[in-house]
Amino acid sequence: MFTDILPPELEEEVARPPRRWGAVLFVLFLLAIILAGGGLLVLARFGRIPTASPFIARTARDGDPDAETLRRRAVQATAALERVRPNGAYIVVDSYRNRLRLYRDGDLVRNAVCSTGTGIVLKDPRNGRQWVFDTPLGERTVERKVKNPVWAKPDWAFVEEGMIPPKDPNERFDGDSLGNYALYIGDGYIIHGTLFKTLLGRRVTHGCIRLGDEDLEFVYRHAPIGSRVFLY
Amino acid sequence: MEAAIAKRPVVYMVLDPARRVLEVRSRSLVLDRVALEGIEVVTEQPLFSGWPPTLPELPATWTIAQGPGDTDREIIAPAELRPYVSPDQEEEAVPEPTPTAVPTGPAATPTPVPEPPSAYRARLDNGWDLLITDTLPADTLIPRFLAAVHDGWQRLRGLGESKPPAVALAMAKENCQRIHHLMRTGTEILVLPTP
Repeated sequence: MFTDILPPELEEEVARPPRRWGAVLFVLFLLAIILAGGGLLVLARFGRIPTASPFIARTARDGDPDAETLRRRAVQATAALERVRPNGAYIVVDSYRNRLRLYRDGDLVRNAVCSTGTGIVLKDPRNGRQWVFDTPLGERTVERKVKNPVWAKPDWAFVEEGMIPPKDPNERFDGDSLGNYALYIGDGYIIHGTLFKTLLGRRVTHGCIRLGDEDLEFVYRHAPIGSRVFLY
Repeated sequence: MEAAIAKRPVVYMVLDPARRVLEVRSRSLVLDRVALEGIEVVTEQPLFSGWPPTLPELPATWTIAQGPGDTDREIIAPAELRPYVSPDQEEEAVPEPTPTAVPTGPAATPTPVPEPPSAYRARLDNGWDLLITDTLPADTLIPRFLAAVHDGWQRLRGLGESKPPAVALAMAKENCQRIHHLMRTGTEILVLPTP
């Protein structure tokens, strides 16, 4: 209706179809996708990713020994391993699961819940001295056994409680904490009892191995001095 | 090889790729046994290219040069220390209204022990890593592509980190945590030959 009043040069303008904004937006969108994708590809090319491949190792050649040599070596190795294997009573301590197992001639005779070291490091704020509360790994032996043991508290026991260690050695003796029996396995590590029975089965100690009363008495009676203790 | 290690009072490990087993031993006595879900060689490579790594010869004894059992530790320290007061003096200073019972429970809350991680690396003396993990790297395209983009972006920002090739032992999460504390400097791992 307006065309009647429009000048002729504008009539043509109005009659032109509307601009294709949709197509323009689509093209822009495609361009953005291509640019982003290209960017990601470039980034991916820069990146290094863990790539797994089969474990196929080369076998070391030892001069291709004959069957007799191999057999002789195997016998020697078996004998050498047999010589170092424990006999009689020995103790195995699993410091992750907090279990102490007592074996006699390879047979399990006691499986006890214990507590082992936390693995935490304690630092003395005065001088930076550190103590690592680990249950040691490896093989030790029962060096001595004591009934009604008395604990001579080391410095860390005071530092942990926020106290300066006393100068008087008599202030260090504690006749209650170790329980009724103690098996000393070297370097201050002890298999002993505990006042805190509910903490058995957890890693709460300063490196020693704590047992409940009945298990401790059993181990004390059945593991003679010299028994090997394997800690892992 | 094992006879040489077993002469010493140490804990060592024996990796048997054929049986897919990692054993914890001392004096040739098997203390613990961990079943492996997979053994792979993990190398960091670009997305669309790669090369097969050259594995060390077997049998071999690998020694841990630095392990998470040494480094992943919590450190505690009191802010300051007060002078020592004997329990007798303490009792005099603060008289107890009622006699205290012998403690049978957690009188003091023990410091919570952090749970070991389920994936970690130990550096070996041969320049390789031992990767203990409950999940092997993804081998499908999209996760690999996304990981490559992420790593590329990190490297562009100067945060990328190159890791040496690793022998990856995949096992259940609990087993990863169980052997974490054994991965200490000096721990030896005897690797048996593959058939």
